[in-house]
Amino acid sequence: MRFPSHAEEQALHERVLKKNESLASEDVFRVFMDPIIKFLCTHRGKTKDEAHDAVCDVLLEYLENPERYQAHKSRLSTYLTRAAEMQARDMYRSQEARQRREREFGGVIELRARTPNESLEIIVEARLAVGRLEQAVQEKDRAALGLILQGERSTHALAKAMNLPPLPEKDLRRAVKRNRDRLMKLLGRFGKEDRDVQP
Amino acid sequence: MSNPDWLERAALRARSATWTLAHTFERYRQVEERTEAELARELGCTREVLHWLCLCRKPEGLNFDEQVTAITQRHEVDLRALVDVIRHVEIVDALSRPTRDSALAERPIQMAARDRVPGEKTSS
Repeated sequence: MRFPSHAEEQALHERVLKKNESLASEDVFRVFMDPIIKFLCTHRGKTKDEAHDAVCDVLLEYLENPERYQAHKSRLSTYLTRAAEMQARDMYRSQEARQRREREFGGVIELRARTPNESLEIIVEARLAVGRLEQAVQEKDRAALGLILQGERSTHALAKAMNLPPLPEKDLRRAVKRNRDRLMKLLGRFGKEDRDVQP
Repeated sequence: MSNPDWLERAALRARSATWTLAHTFERYRQVEERTEAELARELGCTREVLHWLCLCRKPEGLNFDEQVTAITQRHEVDLRALVDVIRHVEIVDALSRPTRDSALAERPIQMAARDRVPGEKTSS
């Protein structure tokens, strides 16, 4: 589980650079995986799985672009070990960030979720409010108000619910708008009164 | 000598690198719907040997024969089967690759098929 000698490393690098020897990449794995994994586990406190993935990614990257290694700057083993250290750190950081994001997302969901007790109270209050609204709104307006609250925007559908007589298109639109505005004002007033009534 | 515990994991990760045999084997398994064990049987080797092969650079270029021979000598796999797998994936990839301007240019294979004049009798 030792690093090869400087001469052996250089010979292996020369073979890799040629990119026409299939077995050279396998030999890089055979020679460098174990000593770099051992270094990361022993001196950098990485787990075996973390070290395996980091070293593997670094060796694949080196084998794809061997010309990036500059032999006059450092030994190949030093270059690959440093790269694996950085890779392991990056992987750890991205894993941490992902876990943090998941925790934050979980927190938001928890904050927004209502307790069963609270949900029940809302249902009861909504029912009471609907009862009060039915009393406040005249019978003839209820159908139109129901449609408006459901998001209906068709002039003809609203005109029918408002019991409007047949009118030219332009007049019909104006009449529907007028009635709609009146109902919305009524609703607004009711909402204000309802808030004042509540304890 | 026993195989290292990182071997299978490394073979799996090597699939993402297009220059590896791992990538070629993965493509072959997808196209031919083979399991890893089936592919190993086809190549006449064990799964562990298949994992070592995955870490090799895919043989190509002028010394293709030399590279394939070197692999088969070290790992004792069926040379013919290995060449078949590599060539098979190369052909499938070449046919599925879009042409430079797929809207205008036709694939050679389609052009050859359309060379025959409708109604013309074949020589056979």
